[in-house]
Amino acid sequence: MTMPFAAISSFEGAGPGQHMQRAQGHSRIAFRTESGQTRLANLFQEGACKIRLPKTEAGAPPLAVLINSAGGLTGGDRLSVEAQVGEGGHAVITSQACERVYRSAGGAAHFDASIKVGPGARLDWLPQETILFDHARLARRLTADLAGNARLLAVESVIFGRTSMGESVTQGSFCDRWRIRRDGRLLFADDVRFNGPIAELLGHASVLAGGCAMATVLYAGEDAEEHAGGLRAALGEAGAASAWEGKLVARIAAADGQALRAVLVKALGLLSGTPLPRMWHC
Amino acid sequence: MAEPSRLAPPLEDDAGTLRNGDLVTLMHWLSPAFPVGAFAYSHGLEWAAREGVITDRESLGQWIGDLLQHGSGWNDAVLFAESHRAAAARDGEGLAALAELARAMAPSKERALETLAQGEAFLAHMAPWPSAALGLLAENAGGPVAYPVAVAAATAGRGIALEAALSAYLQAFAVNLVAAALRLMPLGQSEGVAALAGLCDIVLAVARRAARSGLNDLGSATMASDIAAMAHETQYSRVFRS
Repeated sequence: MTMPFAAISSFEGAGPGQHMQRAQGHSRIAFRTESGQTRLANLFQEGACKIRLPKTEAGAPPLAVLINSAGGLTGGDRLSVEAQVGEGGHAVITSQACERVYRSAGGAAHFDASIKVGPGARLDWLPQETILFDHARLARRLTADLAGNARLLAVESVIFGRTSMGESVTQGSFCDRWRIRRDGRLLFADDVRFNGPIAELLGHASVLAGGCAMATVLYAGEDAEEHAGGLRAALGEAGAASAWEGKLVARIAAADGQALRAVLVKALGLLSGTPLPRMWHC
Repeated sequence: MAEPSRLAPPLEDDAGTLRNGDLVTLMHWLSPAFPVGAFAYSHGLEWAAREGVITDRESLGQWIGDLLQHGSGWNDAVLFAESHRAAAARDGEGLAALAELARAMAPSKERALETLAQGEAFLAHMAPWPSAALGLLAENAGGPVAYPVAVAAATAGRGIALEAALSAYLQAFAVNLVAAALRLMPLGQSEGVAALAGLCDIVLAVARRAARSGLNDLGSATMASDIAAMAHETQYSRVFRS
Protein backbone atom coordinates (compact mmCIF):
# COMPACT_ATOMS: atom_id res chain seq x y z
CA MET A 1 0.00 0.00 0.00
CA THR A 2 1.34 3.41 -0.88
CA MET A 3 1.54 6.44 1.32
CA PRO A 4 -1.53 8.40 0.15
CA PHE A 5 -3.91 5.72 1.35
CA ALA A 6 -2.17 5.29 4.66
CA ALA A 7 -2.56 9.03 5.05
CA ILE A 8 -6.27 8.89 4.25
CA SER A 9 -6.83 6.16 6.81
CA SER A 10 -5.09 8.03 9.57
CA PHE A 11 -7.09 11.13 8.62
CA GLU A 12 -10.22 9.12 9.35
CA GLY A 13 -8.78 8.29 12.75
CA ALA A 14 -8.80 4.56 12.10
CA GLY A 15 -6.84 2.30 14.38
CA PRO A 16 -4.50 -0.29 12.88
CA GLY A 17 -7.10 -3.04 13.24
CA GLN A 18 -9.84 -1.18 11.37
CA HIS A 19 -7.35 -0.11 8.77
CA MET A 20 -6.86 -3.69 7.59
CA GLN A 21 -10.57 -4.34 7.16
CA ARG A 22 -11.32 -1.46 4.87
CA ALA A 23 -11.33 -1.70 1.13
CA GLN A 24 -9.19 0.89 -0.54
CA GLY A 25 -8.45 1.31 -4.15
CA HIS A 26 -7.43 3.72 -6.80
CA SER A 27 -7.30 3.40 -10.54
CA ARG A 28 -6.31 5.69 -13.34
CA ILE A 29 -6.94 5.34 -17.01
CA ALA A 30 -6.05 7.63 -19.87
CA PHE A 31 -6.74 7.52 -23.58
CA ARG A 32 -5.03 9.36 -26.40
CA THR A 33 -5.69 9.63 -30.09
CA GLU A 34 -3.33 8.03 -32.58
CA SER A 35 -3.99 8.13 -36.35
CA GLY A 36 -7.65 8.87 -35.72
CA GLN A 37 -8.07 5.98 -33.26
CA THR A 38 -8.53 6.30 -29.51
CA ARG A 39 -5.96 4.15 -27.74
CA LEU A 40 -5.02 3.37 -24.18
CA ALA A 41 -2.29 5.74 -23.03
CA ASN A 42 -2.00 4.84 -19.38
CA LEU A 43 -3.45 2.37 -16.92
CA PHE A 44 -2.83 2.17 -13.19
CA GLN A 45 -4.63 -0.01 -10.67
CA GLU A 46 -4.17 -0.32 -6.97
CA GLY A 47 -6.08 -2.08 -4.23
CA ALA A 48 -9.69 -3.03 -4.90
CA CYS A 49 -10.03 -0.91 -8.05
CA LYS A 50 -9.45 -2.92 -11.18
CA ILE A 51 -10.04 -1.97 -14.78
CA ARG A 52 -10.61 -4.34 -17.69
CA LEU A 53 -10.52 -3.40 -21.34
CA PRO A 54 -12.65 -5.90 -23.26
CA LYS A 55 -12.32 -6.01 -27.03
CA THR A 56 -14.81 -3.82 -28.82
CA GLU A 57 -16.01 -4.01 -32.38
CA ALA A 58 -13.90 -2.39 -35.06
CA GLY A 59 -14.59 1.33 -35.21
CA ALA A 60 -16.27 1.39 -31.78
CA PRO A 61 -14.68 3.54 -29.07
CA PRO A 62 -12.61 1.70 -26.46
CA LEU A 63 -14.48 0.47 -23.40
CA ALA A 64 -13.10 0.44 -19.87
CA VAL A 65 -14.90 -1.66 -17.28
CA LEU A 66 -14.49 -0.74 -13.63
CA ILE A 67 -14.36 -3.61 -11.18
CA ASN A 68 -14.44 -3.39 -7.41
CA SER A 69 -12.63 -6.57 -6.41
CA ALA A 70 -13.75 -6.12 -2.79
CA GLY A 71 -17.25 -7.08 -3.95
CA GLY A 72 -19.18 -4.16 -2.51
CA LEU A 73 -18.62 -1.23 -0.25
CA THR A 74 -19.13 -0.55 3.41
CA GLY A 75 -18.42 2.23 5.87
CA GLY A 76 -14.87 3.53 5.64
CA ASP A 77 -14.12 2.08 2.22
CA ARG A 78 -12.53 4.50 -0.19
CA LEU A 79 -12.37 3.94 -3.89
CA SER A 80 -11.36 6.45 -6.50
CA VAL A 81 -11.06 6.51 -10.25
CA GLU A 82 -9.42 9.02 -12.54
CA ALA A 83 -10.18 8.95 -16.24
CA GLN A 84 -8.86 11.05 -19.05
CA VAL A 85 -9.62 11.28 -22.74
CA GLY A 86 -7.14 13.28 -24.76
CA GLU A 87 -7.90 15.66 -27.60
CA GLY A 88 -10.22 14.25 -30.23
CA GLY A 89 -10.69 10.87 -28.55
CA HIS A 90 -13.81 8.97 -27.53
CA ALA A 91 -14.01 6.37 -24.79
CA VAL A 92 -16.74 4.66 -22.80
CA ILE A 93 -16.46 3.71 -19.14
CA THR A 94 -18.88 1.45 -17.33
CA SER A 95 -18.83 -0.89 -14.35
CA GLN A 96 -18.86 -4.67 -14.36
CA ALA A 97 -21.91 -4.92 -12.13
CA CYS A 98 -24.20 -2.90 -9.92
CA GLU A 99 -22.19 -1.65 -6.94
CA ARG A 100 -23.59 -2.81 -3.62
CA VAL A 101 -23.23 -0.69 -0.53
CA TYR A 102 -23.73 -2.72 2.62
CA ARG A 103 -24.72 -1.74 6.15
CA SER A 104 -22.15 0.56 7.67
CA ALA A 105 -20.77 -0.11 11.11
CA GLY A 106 -19.49 3.46 11.13
CA GLY A 107 -18.77 6.19 8.66
CA ALA A 108 -19.58 6.41 5.00
CA ALA A 109 -18.11 4.60 2.05
CA HIS A 110 -16.51 7.03 -0.37
CA PHE A 111 -16.38 6.75 -4.12
CA ASP A 112 -14.68 9.54 -6.06
CA ALA A 113 -14.52 9.81 -9.82
CA SER A 114 -12.46 12.46 -11.48
CA ILE A 115 -12.68 12.97 -15.23
CA LYS A 116 -10.82 15.06 -17.77
CA VAL A 117 -11.98 15.38 -21.36
CA GLY A 118 -9.83 17.21 -23.90
CA PRO A 119 -10.90 19.48 -26.77
CA GLY A 120 -12.96 17.66 -29.38
CA ALA A 121 -13.02 14.55 -27.19
CA ARG A 122 -15.93 12.68 -25.69
CA LEU A 123 -16.37 10.46 -22.66
CA ASP A 124 -19.40 8.36 -21.88
CA TRP A 125 -19.37 7.76 -18.12
CA LEU A 126 -21.93 5.00 -17.69
CA PRO A 127 -21.48 3.11 -14.43
CA GLN A 128 -24.29 0.72 -13.61
CA GLU A 129 -26.66 1.38 -10.74
CA THR A 130 -25.59 1.44 -7.11
CA ILE A 131 -27.74 -0.54 -4.69
CA LEU A 132 -27.96 0.72 -1.13
CA PHE A 133 -28.68 -1.82 1.59
CA ASP A 134 -30.38 -0.94 4.85
CA HIS A 135 -28.16 1.24 7.09
CA ALA A 136 -25.74 1.86 4.22
CA ARG A 137 -23.85 5.12 4.03
CA LEU A 138 -22.35 6.34 0.76
CA ALA A 139 -20.72 9.60 -0.29
CA ARG A 140 -20.14 9.67 -4.03
CA ARG A 141 -18.46 12.41 -5.99
CA LEU A 142 -18.13 13.04 -9.71
CA THR A 143 -15.80 15.82 -10.79
CA ALA A 144 -15.20 16.58 -14.45
CA ASP A 145 -13.10 19.11 -16.31
CA LEU A 146 -14.09 19.60 -19.91
CA ALA A 147 -11.86 21.52 -22.30
CA GLY A 148 -13.17 23.59 -25.20
CA ASN A 149 -15.88 21.70 -27.07
CA ALA A 150 -15.40 18.42 -25.16
CA ARG A 151 -18.53 16.34 -24.67
CA LEU A 152 -19.53 14.31 -21.64
CA LEU A 153 -22.41 11.93 -21.14
CA ALA A 154 -22.68 10.92 -17.48
CA VAL A 155 -25.14 9.00 -15.37
CA GLU A 156 -25.27 8.36 -11.64
CA SER A 157 -28.05 6.25 -10.22
CA VAL A 158 -29.06 4.70 -6.95
CA ILE A 159 -31.52 2.01 -5.90
CA PHE A 160 -32.70 2.26 -2.31
CA GLY A 161 -32.96 -1.36 -1.20
CA ARG A 162 -33.56 -4.57 -3.11
CA THR A 163 -37.32 -4.18 -3.27
CA SER A 164 -37.70 -7.55 -5.03
CA MET A 165 -36.31 -9.09 -1.83
CA GLY A 166 -38.72 -7.07 0.28
CA GLU A 167 -35.87 -4.92 1.54
CA SER A 168 -35.88 -1.18 2.14
CA VAL A 169 -33.51 1.42 3.50
CA THR A 170 -35.15 2.27 6.82
CA GLN A 171 -32.06 4.26 7.79
CA GLY A 172 -29.00 5.34 5.91
CA SER A 173 -27.31 8.15 4.09
CA PHE A 174 -26.58 8.85 0.47
CA CYS A 175 -24.82 11.91 -0.91
CA ASP A 176 -24.04 12.40 -4.56
CA ARG A 177 -22.04 15.45 -5.55
CA TRP A 178 -21.47 16.52 -9.16
CA ARG A 179 -19.11 19.33 -10.10
CA ILE A 180 -18.72 19.65 -13.87
CA ARG A 181 -16.54 22.43 -15.24
CA ARG A 182 -15.89 23.61 -18.76
CA ASP A 183 -12.69 25.56 -19.27
CA GLY A 184 -12.52 26.10 -15.52
CA ARG A 185 -16.05 27.48 -15.14
CA LEU A 186 -18.69 25.51 -13.31
CA LEU A 187 -21.19 24.26 -15.88
CA PHE A 188 -23.30 22.00 -13.70
CA ALA A 189 -23.35 21.36 -9.97
CA ASP A 190 -25.63 18.99 -8.15
CA ASP A 191 -25.90 17.72 -4.60
CA VAL A 192 -28.32 14.91 -3.90
CA ARG A 193 -28.74 14.01 -0.25
CA PHE A 194 -30.88 11.41 1.48
CA ASN A 195 -30.23 11.17 5.16
CA GLY A 196 -31.91 9.35 8.06
CA PRO A 197 -35.21 7.50 7.58
CA ILE A 198 -34.81 7.15 3.81
CA ALA A 199 -37.72 4.74 3.19
CA GLU A 200 -40.11 7.17 4.83
CA LEU A 201 -38.72 10.13 2.89
CA LEU A 202 -39.00 8.32 -0.45
CA GLY A 203 -42.77 8.19 -0.02
CA HIS A 204 -43.14 11.98 -0.06
CA ALA A 205 -44.71 13.40 -3.22
CA SER A 206 -41.85 15.87 -3.80
CA VAL A 207 -39.13 13.24 -3.22
CA LEU A 208 -39.76 10.02 -5.17
CA ALA A 209 -43.50 9.65 -4.54
CA GLY A 210 -42.99 6.10 -3.32
CA GLY A 211 -40.37 5.14 -5.89
CA CYS A 212 -37.19 3.40 -4.72
CA ALA A 213 -34.77 4.22 -7.53
CA MET A 214 -33.48 7.37 -9.14
CA ALA A 215 -30.91 8.63 -11.56
CA THR A 216 -29.48 11.85 -12.86
CA VAL A 217 -28.23 12.06 -16.43
CA LEU A 218 -26.12 14.87 -17.84
CA TYR A 219 -25.09 15.43 -21.41
CA ALA A 220 -22.74 18.36 -21.82
CA GLY A 221 -22.03 19.51 -25.34
CA GLU A 222 -22.76 22.28 -27.80
CA ASP A 223 -25.58 20.19 -29.29
CA ALA A 224 -27.25 19.48 -25.91
CA GLU A 225 -30.53 21.20 -26.77
CA GLU A 226 -30.97 19.15 -29.94
CA HIS A 227 -31.33 15.97 -27.87
CA ALA A 228 -33.96 17.26 -25.44
CA GLY A 229 -37.00 16.16 -27.43
CA GLY A 230 -35.71 12.65 -28.03
CA LEU A 231 -34.69 12.24 -24.41
CA ARG A 232 -38.11 13.38 -23.16
CA ALA A 233 -39.75 10.75 -25.35
CA ALA A 234 -37.36 8.06 -24.07
CA LEU A 235 -38.07 8.98 -20.45
CA GLY A 236 -41.84 8.94 -20.78
CA GLU A 237 -43.54 9.21 -17.40
CA ALA A 238 -40.43 8.07 -15.50
CA GLY A 239 -38.72 11.43 -15.49
CA ALA A 240 -38.17 14.70 -17.27
CA ALA A 241 -35.38 16.61 -18.96
CA SER A 242 -34.29 20.16 -19.50
CA ALA A 243 -31.67 21.68 -21.78
CA TRP A 244 -30.04 25.07 -21.55
CA GLU A 245 -26.63 26.66 -21.97
CA GLY A 246 -24.91 23.62 -23.45
CA LYS A 247 -26.22 21.07 -20.99
CA LEU A 248 -29.03 18.55 -21.01
CA VAL A 249 -30.10 17.32 -17.58
CA ALA A 250 -32.56 14.58 -16.74
CA ARG A 251 -33.93 13.35 -13.46
CA ILE A 252 -35.48 9.92 -13.33
CA ALA A 253 -37.65 8.54 -10.54
CA ALA A 254 -38.60 4.89 -10.84
CA ALA A 255 -40.58 2.42 -8.78
CA ASP A 256 -37.68 -0.02 -8.47
CA GLY A 257 -34.38 -1.08 -9.97
CA GLN A 258 -35.95 -2.97 -12.84
CA ALA A 259 -38.05 0.00 -13.93
CA LEU A 260 -35.02 2.26 -13.63
CA ARG A 261 -32.90 -0.06 -15.77
CA ALA A 262 -35.54 -0.13 -18.49
CA VAL A 263 -35.67 3.64 -18.78
CA LEU A 264 -31.90 4.11 -18.46
CA VAL A 265 -31.23 1.68 -21.31
CA LYS A 266 -33.55 3.73 -23.52
CA ALA A 267 -32.27 7.15 -22.43
CA LEU A 268 -28.56 6.29 -22.47
CA GLY A 269 -28.93 4.29 -25.68
CA LEU A 270 -30.31 7.43 -27.28
CA LEU A 271 -27.65 9.80 -25.95
CA SER A 272 -24.56 7.62 -26.16
CA GLY A 273 -24.55 7.56 -29.93
CA THR A 274 -22.89 4.13 -29.76
CA PRO A 275 -24.49 0.87 -28.56
CA LEU A 276 -24.51 0.58 -24.76
CA PRO A 277 -21.85 -1.71 -23.30
CA ARG A 278 -23.19 -5.26 -23.12
CA MET A 279 -22.98 -5.15 -19.28
CA TRP A 280 -26.07 -2.94 -19.49
CA HIS A 281 -28.04 -5.71 -21.16
CA CYS A 282 -27.37 -8.58 -18.73
CA MET B 1 -26.70 52.80 38.55
CA ALA B 2 -27.40 54.34 35.17
CA GLU B 3 -30.06 52.93 32.98
CA PRO B 4 -28.71 50.81 30.17
CA SER B 5 -28.35 52.74 26.95
CA ARG B 6 -31.22 52.33 24.54
CA LEU B 7 -28.69 51.49 21.90
CA ALA B 8 -27.08 48.71 23.88
CA PRO B 9 -27.20 45.41 22.03
CA PRO B 10 -29.49 42.76 23.46
CA LEU B 11 -27.80 40.63 26.08
CA GLU B 12 -29.11 37.28 24.89
CA ASP B 13 -27.69 35.40 21.92
CA ASP B 14 -28.60 37.85 19.19
CA ALA B 15 -28.01 35.61 16.20
CA GLY B 16 -31.71 35.64 15.43
CA THR B 17 -32.76 39.08 16.67
CA LEU B 18 -32.77 42.26 14.68
CA ARG B 19 -33.21 45.98 14.98
CA ASN B 20 -36.53 47.58 14.07
CA GLY B 21 -34.98 49.23 11.03
CA ASP B 22 -33.75 45.88 9.79
CA LEU B 23 -37.17 44.33 10.33
CA VAL B 24 -38.74 46.99 8.11
CA THR B 25 -36.01 46.54 5.48
CA LEU B 26 -36.57 42.78 5.35
CA MET B 27 -40.35 43.24 5.16
CA HIS B 28 -39.87 45.64 2.27
CA TRP B 29 -37.30 43.60 0.31
CA LEU B 30 -39.08 40.27 0.76
CA SER B 31 -42.62 41.51 0.39
CA PRO B 32 -44.56 40.06 -2.56
CA ALA B 33 -44.87 43.69 -3.66
CA PHE B 34 -41.12 44.10 -4.11
CA PRO B 35 -40.68 44.13 -7.90
CA VAL B 36 -38.65 40.96 -8.52
CA GLY B 37 -41.54 39.31 -10.35
CA ALA B 38 -41.88 36.49 -7.82
CA PHE B 39 -45.56 36.03 -8.75
CA ALA B 40 -44.48 34.69 -12.15
CA TYR B 41 -42.71 31.60 -10.78
CA SER B 42 -44.21 28.43 -9.34
CA HIS B 43 -41.03 26.34 -8.94
CA GLY B 44 -42.72 23.45 -10.76
CA LEU B 45 -45.84 23.66 -8.62
CA GLU B 46 -48.03 24.47 -11.63
CA TRP B 47 -47.22 21.08 -13.13
CA ALA B 48 -47.68 19.27 -9.81
CA ALA B 49 -51.08 20.93 -9.34
CA ARG B 50 -52.20 20.12 -12.88
CA GLU B 51 -51.12 16.48 -12.39
CA GLY B 52 -53.14 16.25 -9.19
CA VAL B 53 -50.05 15.71 -7.01
CA ILE B 54 -50.94 18.79 -4.94
CA THR B 55 -54.64 19.08 -4.30
CA ASP B 56 -55.26 20.55 -0.86
CA ARG B 57 -53.81 22.36 2.12
CA GLU B 58 -52.16 19.23 3.46
CA SER B 59 -50.40 18.14 0.26
CA LEU B 60 -49.36 21.76 -0.38
CA GLY B 61 -47.89 22.15 3.09
CA GLN B 62 -46.06 18.84 2.79
CA TRP B 63 -44.61 19.79 -0.62
CA ILE B 64 -43.32 23.19 0.51
CA GLY B 65 -42.14 21.82 3.86
CA ASP B 66 -40.09 19.16 2.07
CA LEU B 67 -38.54 21.72 -0.27
CA LEU B 68 -37.49 23.74 2.77
CA GLN B 69 -36.16 20.82 4.80
CA HIS B 70 -34.80 18.43 2.18
CA GLY B 71 -34.87 20.19 -1.16
CA SER B 72 -34.21 23.28 -3.21
CA GLY B 73 -35.30 25.59 -0.38
CA TRP B 74 -32.65 24.03 1.83
CA ASN B 75 -29.96 24.37 -0.84
CA ASP B 76 -30.90 28.02 -1.31
CA ALA B 77 -30.67 28.50 2.45
CA VAL B 78 -27.16 27.03 2.55
CA LEU B 79 -26.06 29.19 -0.40
CA PHE B 80 -27.63 32.21 1.34
CA ALA B 81 -25.77 31.52 4.58
CA GLU B 82 -22.41 31.08 2.88
CA SER B 83 -22.94 34.18 0.72
CA HIS B 84 -23.96 36.26 3.74
CA ARG B 85 -20.78 35.22 5.54
CA ALA B 86 -18.60 35.87 2.48
CA ALA B 87 -20.18 39.30 1.96
CA ALA B 88 -19.84 40.20 5.64
CA ALA B 89 -16.18 39.19 5.53
CA ARG B 90 -15.65 41.21 2.29
CA ASP B 91 -14.46 38.00 0.65
CA GLY B 92 -14.73 38.76 -3.07
CA GLU B 93 -13.26 35.45 -4.18
CA GLY B 94 -15.68 33.58 -1.97
CA LEU B 95 -18.62 35.55 -3.38
CA ALA B 96 -17.44 34.83 -6.92
CA ALA B 97 -17.32 31.09 -6.22
CA LEU B 98 -20.75 31.14 -4.56
CA ALA B 99 -22.33 33.11 -7.40
CA GLU B 100 -20.93 30.57 -9.86
CA LEU B 101 -22.06 27.60 -7.76
CA ALA B 102 -25.58 28.97 -7.31
CA ARG B 103 -25.93 29.45 -11.09
CA ALA B 104 -24.70 25.93 -11.80
CA MET B 105 -26.96 24.32 -9.20
CA ALA B 106 -30.21 25.18 -10.94
CA PRO B 107 -31.48 21.77 -12.09
CA SER B 108 -33.49 23.00 -15.07
CA LYS B 109 -33.82 25.87 -17.53
CA GLU B 110 -36.87 27.40 -15.85
CA ARG B 111 -35.47 27.01 -12.36
CA ALA B 112 -32.34 28.81 -13.58
CA LEU B 113 -34.54 31.59 -14.96
CA GLU B 114 -36.51 31.73 -11.70
CA THR B 115 -33.51 32.26 -9.47
CA LEU B 116 -31.40 34.39 -11.85
CA ALA B 117 -34.15 36.74 -13.07
CA GLN B 118 -35.28 37.40 -9.49
CA GLY B 119 -31.71 37.86 -8.31
CA GLU B 120 -30.95 40.34 -11.06
CA ALA B 121 -34.22 42.22 -10.54
CA PHE B 122 -33.54 42.41 -6.81
CA LEU B 123 -30.07 43.85 -7.39
CA ALA B 124 -31.43 46.32 -9.93
CA HIS B 125 -33.62 47.80 -7.18
CA MET B 126 -30.85 48.10 -4.57
CA ALA B 127 -29.82 51.64 -5.58
CA PRO B 128 -31.37 53.18 -2.42
CA TRP B 129 -29.34 50.79 -0.25
CA PRO B 130 -25.74 50.88 -1.49
CA SER B 131 -23.21 48.89 0.51
CA ALA B 132 -19.66 47.65 0.22
CA ALA B 133 -20.99 44.07 0.13
CA LEU B 134 -23.20 44.77 -2.89
CA GLY B 135 -20.33 46.56 -4.61
CA LEU B 136 -18.11 43.55 -4.00
CA LEU B 137 -20.77 41.22 -5.38
CA ALA B 138 -21.15 43.33 -8.52
CA GLU B 139 -17.38 43.21 -9.06
CA ASN B 140 -17.15 39.46 -8.56
CA ALA B 141 -20.46 38.01 -9.77
CA GLY B 142 -19.11 36.89 -13.15
CA GLY B 143 -22.65 36.59 -14.55
CA PRO B 144 -26.25 36.84 -13.44
CA VAL B 145 -26.68 36.48 -9.69
CA ALA B 146 -28.97 33.88 -8.15
CA TYR B 147 -31.69 35.22 -5.84
CA PRO B 148 -30.37 33.81 -2.51
CA VAL B 149 -26.87 35.14 -3.22
CA ALA B 150 -28.24 38.59 -4.07
CA VAL B 151 -30.42 38.89 -0.95
CA ALA B 152 -27.65 37.48 1.23
CA ALA B 153 -25.17 40.10 0.04
CA ALA B 154 -27.71 42.92 0.45
CA THR B 155 -28.65 41.89 3.97
CA ALA B 156 -25.02 41.40 4.96
CA GLY B 157 -24.29 44.82 3.52
CA ARG B 158 -26.85 46.34 5.91
CA GLY B 159 -25.46 44.35 8.83
CA ILE B 160 -28.70 42.38 9.17
CA ALA B 161 -28.17 39.22 11.23
CA LEU B 162 -27.94 36.03 9.15
CA GLU B 163 -30.60 33.96 10.87
CA ALA B 164 -33.18 36.74 10.77
CA ALA B 165 -32.44 37.44 7.11
CA LEU B 166 -32.68 33.72 6.31
CA SER B 167 -35.99 33.41 8.14
CA ALA B 168 -37.44 36.25 6.10
CA TYR B 169 -36.06 34.83 2.86
CA LEU B 170 -37.46 31.35 3.47
CA GLN B 171 -40.80 32.74 4.61
CA ALA B 172 -41.00 34.71 1.34
CA PHE B 173 -40.25 31.50 -0.58
CA ALA B 174 -43.12 29.74 1.19
CA VAL B 175 -45.49 32.71 0.78
CA ASN B 176 -44.81 32.85 -2.95
CA LEU B 177 -45.52 29.15 -3.46
CA VAL B 178 -48.73 29.31 -1.44
CA ALA B 179 -49.82 32.36 -3.44
CA ALA B 180 -49.12 30.39 -6.63
CA ALA B 181 -51.17 27.47 -5.33
CA LEU B 182 -54.14 29.75 -4.61
CA ARG B 183 -54.18 30.66 -8.30
CA LEU B 184 -53.75 27.05 -9.46
CA MET B 185 -56.25 25.03 -7.48
CA PRO B 186 -59.52 25.44 -5.69
CA LEU B 187 -57.95 26.47 -2.40
CA GLY B 188 -59.51 29.22 -0.29
CA GLN B 189 -57.60 32.14 1.18
CA SER B 190 -58.11 30.80 4.70
CA GLU B 191 -56.64 27.44 3.61
CA GLY B 192 -53.59 29.26 2.23
CA VAL B 193 -53.17 31.20 5.45
CA ALA B 194 -53.44 27.99 7.44
CA ALA B 195 -50.86 26.26 5.22
CA LEU B 196 -48.42 29.11 5.85
CA ALA B 197 -49.12 29.10 9.57
CA GLY B 198 -48.31 25.39 9.57
CA LEU B 199 -45.00 26.08 7.82
CA CYS B 200 -43.85 28.76 10.24
CA ASP B 201 -42.02 26.40 12.61
CA ILE B 202 -40.29 24.70 9.68
CA VAL B 203 -39.16 28.06 8.25
CA LEU B 204 -37.66 29.03 11.60
CA ALA B 205 -36.03 25.65 12.19
CA VAL B 206 -34.52 25.53 8.70
CA ALA B 207 -33.23 29.10 9.03
CA ARG B 208 -31.63 28.17 12.33
CA ARG B 209 -30.02 25.03 10.92
CA ALA B 210 -28.91 26.71 7.70
CA ALA B 211 -27.32 29.61 9.59
CA ARG B 212 -24.92 27.03 11.04
CA SER B 213 -24.35 25.16 7.77
CA GLY B 214 -21.59 25.12 5.19
CA LEU B 215 -21.25 23.97 1.61
CA ASN B 216 -20.80 20.35 2.68
CA ASP B 217 -24.37 20.47 3.97
CA LEU B 218 -25.79 21.12 0.50
CA GLY B 219 -28.07 18.41 -0.77
CA SER B 220 -31.57 17.89 -2.03
CA ALA B 221 -33.83 14.85 -2.02
CA THR B 222 -36.80 16.46 -3.78
CA MET B 223 -36.28 14.82 -7.14
CA ALA B 224 -40.00 14.76 -8.01
CA SER B 225 -40.10 18.53 -7.54
CA ASP B 226 -37.18 18.89 -9.98
CA ILE B 227 -38.99 16.59 -12.40
CA ALA B 228 -42.11 18.75 -12.04
CA ALA B 229 -40.06 21.87 -12.85
CA MET B 230 -38.58 20.17 -15.93
CA ALA B 231 -41.92 18.79 -17.08
CA HIS B 232 -43.42 22.26 -16.71
CA GLU B 233 -41.37 23.39 -19.71
CA THR B 234 -43.50 21.31 -22.03
CA GLN B 235 -46.78 21.66 -20.14
CA TYR B 236 -49.67 22.71 -22.33
CA SER B 237 -51.12 26.12 -21.42
CA ARG B 238 -49.08 27.65 -18.62
CA VAL B 239 -49.68 30.66 -16.38
CA PHE B 240 -46.25 30.65 -14.68
CA ARG B 241 -42.70 31.00 -16.00
CA SER B 242 -41.53 28.03 -13.89
